[in-house]
Amino acid sequence: MTKRPPAEQLDLAVSALLAHPPRPMPGASRSVAKLLALVRALRDLPRPEFKAHLKTDLQRRTSMNQASTAATTKPVQFRRESFPNIAPYFLVNGAPKFIDFLVAAFNGTERIRVPHPDGSIMHAEVAIGNSVIELGDANDEYPRRFMSTHLYVPDADDTYANALVAGATPVYAPTDDHPSGDRWGEAKDPFGNTWYIATRKGWIPGPEGFLTVQPYLHLRDAHNMIPFIEAALGARTTGLHKSPDGKVLHATIEIAGATLEIDEAHGEVQRTQSYLHLYVPDTDALYAQAVTAGAKSVKPPYTAPYGERSATITDPFGTTWFLATYLGPEAH
Amino acid sequence: MAVRRPGRKTSSQGADEHLLVEAAQSNPSKFAALYELHFARVYFFIVSRVHDRSTAEDLTSEVFHKALANLSTYEWRGTPFVAWLFRIASNAIADQYKRANREQRGDDNALDPSAEANSTSKEMESVERHAFLFRLVEKLPEVQRRVVCERFIEERSIKEIAQRLSKTEGAVKQLQFRALQTLREQMGERHD
Repeated sequence: MTKRPPAEQLDLAVSALLAHPPRPMPGASRSVAKLLALVRALRDLPRPEFKAHLKTDLQRRTSMNQASTAATTKPVQFRRESFPNIAPYFLVNGAPKFIDFLVAAFNGTERIRVPHPDGSIMHAEVAIGNSVIELGDANDEYPRRFMSTHLYVPDADDTYANALVAGATPVYAPTDDHPSGDRWGEAKDPFGNTWYIATRKGWIPGPEGFLTVQPYLHLRDAHNMIPFIEAALGARTTGLHKSPDGKVLHATIEIAGATLEIDEAHGEVQRTQSYLHLYVPDTDALYAQAVTAGAKSVKPPYTAPYGERSATITDPFGTTWFLATYLGPEAH
Repeated sequence: MAVRRPGRKTSSQGADEHLLVEAAQSNPSKFAALYELHFARVYFFIVSRVHDRSTAEDLTSEVFHKALANLSTYEWRGTPFVAWLFRIASNAIADQYKRANREQRGDDNALDPSAEANSTSKEMESVERHAFLFRLVEKLPEVQRRVVCERFIEERSIKEIAQRLSKTEGAVKQLQFRALQTLREQMGERHD
C-alpha cells in the first residue's frame, strides 16, 4: 500500500473518509496521513458561491435602504417615545375591566385612558415591561377579536399565578418541557384572549433586544403570509421552520424593527385575527406598497389630531394593521 | 518553512476595526469590509456548533442581516466587533435549537444553547484556524481551488471532477495532493 504514489495513497484515504458511512482507512505514509488531518476541516467549508451570494444580498439591502432614505424627508424618529415599534391593539367588551386585568395579572401600568361619556373606553394604553398594549371597547367598525400574545417575563410561574388570581383560566402551567426550550405556560384571560407566558432560558439578549409583549398570529395558510408580508410591508423572515408538508411551524417576522411570530393554525390552536399598531418610517409609502401587494384599504393615510400620520389596512390573512408615523411633538 | 498562524488582534488592528465600524455606521455600503473581515469567523463559529453546512449557511446569513440592520445600535467599547457578531450568532443558534425542538421534542442529540453560548479560548482558536484555512483555500490557484471545493464540499468523485475539468483522473488526484500539501504548509503544524 505505502508503495503507491503519494497522490494515489491520499485519494484512497480521502475516498474512505468521504464514503457514507466512512470506510476503514487504508494505510498511508506519514506525510500523507498528515494531509488527511485537513480533510475534516475542508468538509466544513461553506459552499464557494454562498459567501458571494450573501455579500450581494447584503449590498442589495444596503442600496435599497439608502435609496429609501434618500427618497424620503420623513423624520428619523417615527414612533413616539417610550413606545415600541409594534403593539397589539385589543378591542374587547368591557375595556375598563380589561385594564384592571392587565394591571393585576401582568404588573401593567396604565398610561393613557380616553373614555367615552358612557364610561366605555375609546383608547387606552397599558405598559408591560418594555412594551405597550393598546386597547379600547369594541365597536361596529372594529369588532371584538380574540388575540394571542407571547409575553416574556422575568418569572413565568409568578406571572402565571398572578394571571390566574386576576381571573385567567389555566391552559397549562409553566413547564420546562415546552418545545421552545423556554419555561412556558398558557392561560386564557376572561375576555377570550390567549397568553403565552414565558421566561427565556439560556438566552442572551442580543443588540436587537426583545420585547416583553410580542404578537403571535395563528394563521390559515401561514406559508402564504410570508411572501405577502415581505412584499407588502417590507418584512424580513427569520427562523422559518416548516413541516415536511410545507406548513409553517414557526416563523419570526421583522418589520421596521418590530418583531412578531406566526404559525399555522391547527387543532386547538384556533386561527387568530389580530389588530396590530405598527410604527413605520413612512406611512404613506408603506400604505401604497401594501395595497399594491394585495392588502385591502380600510382607511387611506390621514394626519391624526394626536400628531401621527395614520392609515389602516387589512391583509388577506385577517390581520388589521394600524400603520402610523409619529410626526413629532410640534404636530400636536 | 515559514509557519503562518492566525494572529491575535493587536491594539492597532482594533483601532483599524473601530474605523471600519464607524465608516459602516455612517455609510452602510461600507459594511462589506466588515463582512469580508469576519465572514469566515462567523461561519465557522456557527458550523462548529450546528454541525451542518446548510443550517450554518442559513444562520450565517441571518447573523449578517441582523448585524447590518442593527449596526447603528452597536457601541464601540474596546472589545472586537466579532464578539458582537458571535453574540448575535449565539442567539440565532439558540433560536434554531428551539425551532428544531418544536418539531422533535426530547432529542438527546439536540444542541443545548446554554452550554454552547459560552466559548472557550480553545474553541475560539479553532474558529480562527478554520477561518484561516478558508482564506487559504480562496487563495489557491483556481484549478486547485475548484478541485478542493468539488471534492470536499460537493463530495464529487475524482472521476466526476475529471470529466467536469476535462482532465485525467490522475491529474485531478495530483491537483488534490498539491492543494492539500500547499494548505498544510501554509497552515503549519497547528491543525486538528
